[in-house]
Amino acid sequence: MKKLALILFGLIGAIALIGCSSNSSSSSAGGSGEPVEGGELNVAMGSEPDTLDWMYSGESATRKIGWHIYEGLFALDKDYQARPLLAEDYTVSDDKKIYTITLRDGLKFHNGQDVTANDAKASLDRWTKVSSVGKIASSHISSIEATDDKTIVITLNDVYTSLLTDLAAPKASAIVIPAEIAEAAGEQPLTNEQFIGTGPFQFDSWKSGNEIVLSKFADYKSRDEEDWGGLTGEKTAYLDTIHFKVVKDPQVMLNGLKTNLYDYVQSIPLDLYEVVTSTPNVEAVTSSNGYSVITPDKSEAPFDDLKVRQALHAALDKEAMAKATYGNDDFYELDGALFTPDQTALYSGENIDDFAAFDQDEAKKLLEESSYDGQPVKIIFSNDNADYKKIAEIAEQQLEAVGFTVELESYEWATYLEKWGDAKNWDMVVVGWSPFFSPNQAGMVSRENNSSGWYHSDRWQELLAQWGTADETEQQQILAELNKTLYEELPFEKVTNISALDARTTKLQGYDEWYGPRFWNTWKTK
Amino acid sequence: MLGYAIRRCLSVIPVMFVVSIIVFLLVHLTPGNPAHIILGEDASPEAVAQLEEQLGLNDPWYIQFFDWLKQVITGDLGTSVFSAQPVTELIFTNFGPTLSLMILSLLFILVISIPLAILIVSLRKTILDPLFTSASLLGVSVPEFWLAILLVLGLGVSIPIFPVAGYMPIAEGFGSWLYHLLLPAFVLAIVEIGIIARMLRDSMLDSVNQDYTKTARAKGVRERDVLMKHVFANALIPTTTVLGATVAGLLGGTVIIETLFTIPGIGQLLIDSIHRRDYPVIQGVVLFIAAIYVLVNLIVDLLYAFLDPRIRYDE
Repeated sequence: MKKLALILFGLIGAIALIGCSSNSSSSSAGGSGEPVEGGELNVAMGSEPDTLDWMYSGESATRKIGWHIYEGLFALDKDYQARPLLAEDYTVSDDKKIYTITLRDGLKFHNGQDVTANDAKASLDRWTKVSSVGKIASSHISSIEATDDKTIVITLNDVYTSLLTDLAAPKASAIVIPAEIAEAAGEQPLTNEQFIGTGPFQFDSWKSGNEIVLSKFADYKSRDEEDWGGLTGEKTAYLDTIHFKVVKDPQVMLNGLKTNLYDYVQSIPLDLYEVVTSTPNVEAVTSSNGYSVITPDKSEAPFDDLKVRQALHAALDKEAMAKATYGNDDFYELDGALFTPDQTALYSGENIDDFAAFDQDEAKKLLEESSYDGQPVKIIFSNDNADYKKIAEIAEQQLEAVGFTVELESYEWATYLEKWGDAKNWDMVVVGWSPFFSPNQAGMVSRENNSSGWYHSDRWQELLAQWGTADETEQQQILAELNKTLYEELPFEKVTNISALDARTTKLQGYDEWYGPRFWNTWKTK
Repeated sequence: MLGYAIRRCLSVIPVMFVVSIIVFLLVHLTPGNPAHIILGEDASPEAVAQLEEQLGLNDPWYIQFFDWLKQVITGDLGTSVFSAQPVTELIFTNFGPTLSLMILSLLFILVISIPLAILIVSLRKTILDPLFTSASLLGVSVPEFWLAILLVLGLGVSIPIFPVAGYMPIAEGFGSWLYHLLLPAFVLAIVEIGIIARMLRDSMLDSVNQDYTKTARAKGVRERDVLMKHVFANALIPTTTVLGATVAGLLGGTVIIETLFTIPGIGQLLIDSIHRRDYPVIQGVVLFIAAIYVLVNLIVDLLYAFLDPRIRYDE
């Protein structure tokens, strides 16, 4: 037996050595501080994207990979301001209806073709048809023309000052792809052969369920300015390859990070924060991740009655809810505004005092005065997210304390999406909204469908219309007015702003935190 | 024997037909649809309806079923709604890791359980017998996921001998392939080692007191030869049936192990496809797995007949 055990251990050791030797790192040497060229980066992500067509999909996994491959005419900087990216410059006519955009010189696609205004036109045409943001913009666009090789002219029906923000939106983005690909794909998602962009990294391969590999684009034409942060400014690809690996289990991610299997891991549950911070050579990366909400269905009783919504508003102790759900206050921020404070150009702190209106006696009084007849109200949520479950359970307790009768129903993601689509299936839904970049894009209020709980508000629509023509000062007033509307009409209950937790090895240098990981202007030391 | 083999092969057809109907109905009766998932939570009902139409989800279920069945008969399992890849190609790509895992596990099972059972039987009158029996019972009872976590923390993180996750195709080097698969294959094998060792031990103990064994001993055959040539050879027959179930068990077990070790196998493909309601992939994978089960059973039945000449299937 002893011999057998020795042989077995010897064999295991020998195989481990073989494996280690064949798995050695290829990164080149370099001291800290000075950029190091080359090397491969292994990124673990919790979910595999459905597509890498960043124009077609607003999905988080799609965009986090997509923004390495593709670029648009404009993109957001670190303060969420729209700045030119592929565009060199632009002018707006006096009546603010004609935007003339000039492309930068020397731009190339990953397939070697030059980027022309015709490609930008074909891409924008497709964007207005397949992108949720593009569809909003399209109602204001009269025509998109390529007047010469370098110039695109967008003519609007009416004054619409959100155009640049929409073109720069990092969700379902207005990326520029070769015209023949845009035309061939039409309203279908791009296929693997069609993932051609202008970004600092190009698509290399996709092993379904395993990994997506990007490699450095040697002919990348960077902007000359300093790095503006976000998705624009100067970009340099130091790394040779980036492997986005699909890893479902956060514990596996952390174990992989500790043992150098991964260099960056995404979406770690917040309760593992202490583990991350106590691990040597690993750093936590936090970024704004929108906010969680409870949305009532306003198309039917009981929440079609404003008084019932007021009772709901007074019944919810959001501080208790946030504390119990997110624990560490580094990861939540109680704030009642439509936008989050890091979105400096869009944030207004006015008219949000009513956010903390928790008052159980008031809630009971309002409920008695309302049309609520004691029928159970059904809260639905997706059980794929533990946070939504906690919020729903705490809401149940708080609502029952003031006289509501509550039922909870949870579904796995696909079933949940279907149930959410029909007003008959729910009275309230617990959901999270990732950041959005103009009031038009706020799906929880701007559209009259399940996302907003069938919110119909002439006042809100009027404010959105004003937004389209407003200058910066007027926009601040509109933002304050939108906040006020939130607390007078109560279309949804904002619970709290939330942050996402990622983690990275300290070998990854020059790394700058933003809304999601970006691996240009960053390098890996040995 | 040939007649039996032909009959057994033909019996596969109705089984596969019934499986295809059941899987099709289960998949299509489950709430949720791929159009909703592709377009995400912020999609308008109009966009969802349009995509449903494009994906052919608006036809009555029986039309969809017969369209799919016609395809399957011609060897085409359809195309993934998400990746637009042919389902057969996806199965082929993802079955490689699963097959690797199963083969290595089976090797562990045979190399460990057979000598272990023989050792237990040869030591049956010593204090070591109950000890080995308890150990094999422990092997059967240990939950795979718990053992996996323990081994990953021990041999992956604390003493980093093995990688904690990932898979390397054999084409990229045998050493790397083995290095990535040893730990998951061992975890997958543990439960089955316990089952096979106990089964073989019990069957061997049954044979130990049979007349033919006594005769062999009376004729002066050495105890070692009695154990190997008479006891072991006879005990192998019922164990063959269990081995068939073992292969099926391994296929089921790979789903957990693939998740825990991030191995892109067929189990992962199935789970991902279920989450996405990727109907053609779910149907194709389930049909493929069912075919493996049926094939393994067929092989076991034929092997059984081959190992035991007393069985006359042709009669």
